[in-house]
Amino acid sequence: MIQPQQPYTGQIFQPTQTFSPTAPQPFYGNSFEDEPPLLEELGINFDHIWQKTLTVLHPLKVADGSIMNETDLAGPMVFCLAFGATLLLAGKIQFGYVYGISAIGCLGMFCLLNLMSMTGVSFGCVASVLGYCLLPMILLSSFAVIFSLQGMIGIILTAGIIGWCSFSASKIFISALAMEGQQLLVAYPCALLYGVFALISVF
Amino acid sequence: MAYHSGYGAHGSKHRTRAAPDPPPLFDDTSGGYPLQPGGYPAPGADVAFNVNHLLGDPVANVAMAYGSSIASHGKDIVHKELHRFVSVNKLKYFFAVDTAYVAKKLGLLVFPYTHQNWEVQYSRDVPLPPRQDLNAPDLYIPTMAFITYVLLAGMALGIQKRFSPEVLGLCASTALVWVVLEVLALLLGVYLATVRSDLSTFHLLAYSGYKYVGMILSVLTGLLFGSDGYYVALAWTSSALMYFIARSLRTAALGPDSMGAPAPRQRLQLYLTLGAAAFQPLIIYWLTFHLVR
Repeated sequence: MIQPQQPYTGQIFQPTQTFSPTAPQPFYGNSFEDEPPLLEELGINFDHIWQKTLTVLHPLKVADGSIMNETDLAGPMVFCLAFGATLLLAGKIQFGYVYGISAIGCLGMFCLLNLMSMTGVSFGCVASVLGYCLLPMILLSSFAVIFSLQGMIGIILTAGIIGWCSFSASKIFISALAMEGQQLLVAYPCALLYGVFALISVF
Repeated sequence: MAYHSGYGAHGSKHRTRAAPDPPPLFDDTSGGYPLQPGGYPAPGADVAFNVNHLLGDPVANVAMAYGSSIASHGKDIVHKELHRFVSVNKLKYFFAVDTAYVAKKLGLLVFPYTHQNWEVQYSRDVPLPPRQDLNAPDLYIPTMAFITYVLLAGMALGIQKRFSPEVLGLCASTALVWVVLEVLALLLGVYLATVRSDLSTFHLLAYSGYKYVGMILSVLTGLLFGSDGYYVALAWTSSALMYFIARSLRTAALGPDSMGAPAPRQRLQLYLTLGAAAFQPLIIYWLTFHLVR
């Protein structure tokens, strides 16, 4: 005789504490209410995404080292797609280049940061930081839709935006990995990487 | 938060739903089950079809735990293989740099003539890291200079309308091959000429990578000021680099105890240093002249 009881929400081979074989509760209703919210289950925390975006957008604000503790790739994915979309608006169908360059760049930065810092860094953290700091580059490529960047104003704007991106990225890396006296050294490879992205937007 | 509570009539291990660690695989806790009423096995079959709560599905949990253990196992294998070829700690020594060191070293590469003391400093027989000793070689500058050179070559070719991604790859691989050849030649020379020295492969890689700084400067000057500017910059950076390599390799190849080598060895060391120094301008010219037409 199958007795109605609450559904099994624990882990296999371990009996849960709340197991009570005599409680007659409906099968689906309890499990639906016991579920954590979908966003929390997927690990997307909008508040943290917004905080990290603000850190990137204010290059002069001091970064908090603990914001990079959970590596979140949802924000960077959105930014990469937005970058590709603005490039598409300018008539360049180059999603493949964007993804390829970001993969190689992330790998290079990962190796370099692991060699340069005392504590190591995980690949997800590097990819997350570099993806968030791609946000000003989206501004650049949306400018490129409206007017061509190949004049003197375009060069100055490009240089400024590359500087902004690499400065924010190096600031976050420095505060998350506690490296002193190396901010310019971390900013230079970031500037090379964002320079390649800028090359795609401009030419 | 996972907690092991000793209470409960049967002393079994209890864990709450929100435990961060995956459950240990095949950890047999069947001895701790409380006495069940007769219908226990049958509801277990119902659980597998409760699709409303996917991550609560114990089969998915087991799969996730297995996958993460496979991933960490794979990572361990990669680390072990990497450590067999490259000692990461020795490599970290070359990247322990800071901004002041890099600035001073770049200045030294462009103008080495006024620097007095070229000896690498030691503390208790261990060479000091580049942060604390200007004469210590590092690998940060050569790596960044190499990548900058490849990107600059791409840009220079783009300006001359001769750019395509294959050419970029060609430039990068040509430069890499020349670096490897030079390091091998230097290794052979060091092997023949010295009894014992601190010049490991990474040291030689560092010294042969410093020429990329000169190459970048020459190409930049050539792009900004035309062909004449290129030749002037080439002459200046070549002589600076020859002086730098000659002084550094002479003190480095001799090691901390320099007077112990017999005379023919010392002559070989001299030839090695002079040969390495003379090779630099040739290779700088070879790798950059086609960028500044």
